[in-house]
Amino acid sequence: MRLYITGATGFVGRAVVAEALRRGHEVVAVVRPASARSIVDTAPTDAVLTEARVDLRSPDGLTESLRGADSVIHLAAAKSGDFYTQFAGTVVATENLLAAMAEAGVDQLVAISTFSVYDYLAMPTGSLLNEESPLDTDPALRDEYARTKLIQERLYRDFGAVPDHDVTILRPGMIYGPGNLWHALLGADLGPRFLRIGNKAVLPLTYVENCAEAIIDTAEALAARPEDLAGEIINIVDDDLPTQQAYAEQVAARIEIPPTVSIPWPAMNAATTILKKANGWFVGGRAKFPGIAVPDRLHARFKPLRYTNAKAKRLLGWTPRYGLGEALDRSVEAERSTETVPA
Amino acid sequence: MNTSLRASHRPLRAAVVGSGAISKEHLTFLSGRSQAAGDVTGRIELAAVCDLSPVAADYGATEFGAGRAYTDITEMLKAEDLDVVHILTPPASHVTLATLCLEAGANVICEKPITSSAADLEQLLGVAQRCNRAIMESHNYRFNDGYLTVREALDAGRLGDLTEVEIRICLPVTDPDGRFGDPNLPSPIHRMPAGVLHDFTTHFAYLLLGLTGDVKFNRVAAAWSNHRGVAHFRYDDLDALLIGEGPTGPVHGRLRFDAGSAPDAFSLTARGSRGWMETDFFQPHLRTVIPRPGGAQLSPIVNHVANGLGLVRDGVTNFGRKLLQQTPYHGLHRMLDETYGALADGAPLPVSPGDMLAAARLVDQLLDDEVRL
Repeated sequence: MRLYITGATGFVGRAVVAEALRRGHEVVAVVRPASARSIVDTAPTDAVLTEARVDLRSPDGLTESLRGADSVIHLAAAKSGDFYTQFAGTVVATENLLAAMAEAGVDQLVAISTFSVYDYLAMPTGSLLNEESPLDTDPALRDEYARTKLIQERLYRDFGAVPDHDVTILRPGMIYGPGNLWHALLGADLGPRFLRIGNKAVLPLTYVENCAEAIIDTAEALAARPEDLAGEIINIVDDDLPTQQAYAEQVAARIEIPPTVSIPWPAMNAATTILKKANGWFVGGRAKFPGIAVPDRLHARFKPLRYTNAKAKRLLGWTPRYGLGEALDRSVEAERSTETVPA
Repeated sequence: MNTSLRASHRPLRAAVVGSGAISKEHLTFLSGRSQAAGDVTGRIELAAVCDLSPVAADYGATEFGAGRAYTDITEMLKAEDLDVVHILTPPASHVTLATLCLEAGANVICEKPITSSAADLEQLLGVAQRCNRAIMESHNYRFNDGYLTVREALDAGRLGDLTEVEIRICLPVTDPDGRFGDPNLPSPIHRMPAGVLHDFTTHFAYLLLGLTGDVKFNRVAAAWSNHRGVAHFRYDDLDALLIGEGPTGPVHGRLRFDAGSAPDAFSLTARGSRGWMETDFFQPHLRTVIPRPGGAQLSPIVNHVANGLGLVRDGVTNFGRKLLQQTPYHGLHRMLDETYGALADGAPLPVSPGDMLAAARLVDQLLDDEVRL
């Protein structure tokens, strides 16, 4: 297949491009015009890989770059900046991409969403989060990433509603891997220390290489069996998910982690719930607090829930290749090999 | 425009064109006023949001309760009977879009810089006059508390005769992750004569002119530099000196844009023959050094104590402002409030065509080859 992959130089994108090439697919990798990183230089010599130097925030050149593609894997999204920056990088970028796909006659889309779109406040502690879980319909207090990804999903669904368009939405959990082992589901920076929030919650993790395989599996399955895959939403998490504590211990055994202070989930939950109520009582909810002090955001990161990958396995035949220990070893190895590359 | 819109006994119908970051402030104001209780004639109806991106237009309309979303301004102007259009698009589009709005019978509030030159502005003001409609450029910081306090002190003579105004903006505009520094999709502002700095020169000009009034700056020198040499930047630094003659003697103006110094700042200092005042729009505070009770001997100490207490008070206030999400744009909201009041009453708008032209001419003057260092 000729796969058009956006966000190709990103953390997940590099793994997805590598997996696509490993399986013999032809890849058109979208790289931003000014990016110094060339993906072609790092690919195997026999790879059929071309770069499309376009910026998705502008429609310029998009349609031309898409011509001849069989399927699009849309990974690109803005993860930092204010709301309007993320709106441009995630929402407008997706709008432009989908319009160009329609113009170029590319009908198949593997759309990468996120666990962030779920309504965590509405879910009881300990309940099962799956594809049927409610989406956040009032995300005003969620972070910019969740708010823009929710709008992006609407665009995916609208595109998929057009006859002949085949869209599968993937919602990966927290993707970990080289350079991203100590992450936001463990806690938050608090000055020179790291504030660990909770210990017992199960982490909805997927290792980047496992996730990349699931993404390519989806592209292949969507092409082979559109009747089974089109319109489906699939959560991606690995098997045998660890608790925060188990994961943190495994990471700490391999790399240096920041000095931490810990607060139990129930204490943090109670404190922020009271703060939110006080905000409403005294200033009509106008006060703005750091993310971890807002229950809507806190629950999305630390609430103890259960997760499943049953649908991914059923529809894709996917099995996460690497368990936690091996995934961490591979990540550390990859980090070391990157560090030793001379400048 | 002399006709009172209040006489029509309906809310003023407004629309916003352009859904970038500044639209949040305009839409928050319009949305708040459209939901305000009270006499219908004091209200605004947010009729439409227009953007080339359908999803951006929809978002603005839905989030702020506008009647409809449009992607075509001509269609919007035809379908909606608009009294006011806010033009918040990139500067190069202002003349075209403002002309369409004026000719469709709407008054226009336009983000700065309204045009790339005073000549273009004169033409646009001519269109407004021909259409018997008003057009106004946003000079928002002229409505901020800090500026108004300094202006009031000068008017009351507390600083004595004005001798110097210094305005300084420190912003890391070349940051590649920022709005202006992004090399992948360079901001359209880079195409303006002063490049990115054109986004700030209007602020410099109207603030300086607002405080210096009738002073004519006949000696001007401006050093425009691209210190960091970022490829898509014309300039990242301005150091300008203006010297003029006021009614009471010479007045100096110092304008400084600095992309290298931290933290972010937008400060204004006015000096006079009796003392000086300093404020900052990003971190609002006020320092006032003037003759105090106790005479020449004790004034320095009284000034230190008074300003020390003032800084503590401003620090506490700023903490509260941060918590309650109050931004340096409070002046924009005040400006819009006054503008709608004036439109409703058929009164002159708070930023006059003369104010706009004077600011545009000063920017032209700073860019003139003859004054460049």
